[in-house]
Amino acid sequence: MASMNQGSAARALVIEDINVDRVILLRMLQKLNCEATVARNGKEAIDLFLQGKTFDIVFSDQEMPVMTGPEAVTKIRAMGATEVKIVGLSADFGGMEAFMRAGADVFVPKPMKLETLESMLQDVIHKKNVRG
Amino acid sequence: MDYSNLRRQAASMKKSLFDQGYLDEQFCQVEDLQDEASPNFAEEVITLFFKDSARLISNIEQALEKYPKDFNKWDAYMQQLKGSCSSIGASRMKSECMSFREFCGQGNVEGCMKSFQKVKREHGVLRQKLEAYFQLLRQAGPAGAATRPGM
Repeated sequence: MASMNQGSAARALVIEDINVDRVILLRMLQKLNCEATVARNGKEAIDLFLQGKTFDIVFSDQEMPVMTGPEAVTKIRAMGATEVKIVGLSADFGGMEAFMRAGADVFVPKPMKLETLESMLQDVIHKKNVRG
Repeated sequence: MDYSNLRRQAASMKKSLFDQGYLDEQFCQVEDLQDEASPNFAEEVITLFFKDSARLISNIEQALEKYPKDFNKWDAYMQQLKGSCSSIGASRMKSECMSFREFCGQGNVEGCMKSFQKVKREHGVLRQKLEAYFQLLRQAGPAGAATRPGM
């Protein structure tokens, strides 16, 4: 595995209600030296943004109780968080349209590979370092 | 104790699980997330999977007994279970979950009922096999055990 850039670490938000999926994604982020915050549904994620928390990248599951991933993405973008990279995740390919329509940057079918995650984080860190 | 033999047995057991279609490559992805900081990560995830999947299966079972039949609800539960199966590489279970969802889409109650029994069966079999696999791994100890002095 290529080592991550030595620039500032990416700050990730994981929005996921399924325990197994959340634990695996968090472990992958840990291995890639990425700080991660957890929300168990879209509403918890929105609450974090309303508290003024900022993230470099958001990973969101599609179907969740209280507020779905696409609903949360719509609200995040409406709050003016246009810079944050948003990755929609779902085991169903049908989720792609909903996420992209809501304003996600990319859709990744579950389960996501570590290499895919590493590539996305490297891209985020690179852009972060360029912005300064 | 012959730790290297135990590790060979564990490797053989894992290969068999793959050859018989119980597991797919995603299981290896989960195991690859283990390191010195998290040496038992795979077993912890699998334990979590069986805890959550047992609850989901129970929810589905209760939902199947209710009237009127709510295919959307059944499908939603099974979608969650299918997702978790994908995440740990539980290939045969995932296939049965997909069959169930197809029957939901067709509004086929009998198909759903029969398919659900298969999901439960695959769940039980996979649980037994993975418990045996991890027990063997625990007995075999960490990979470094082979280099212990006096072995």
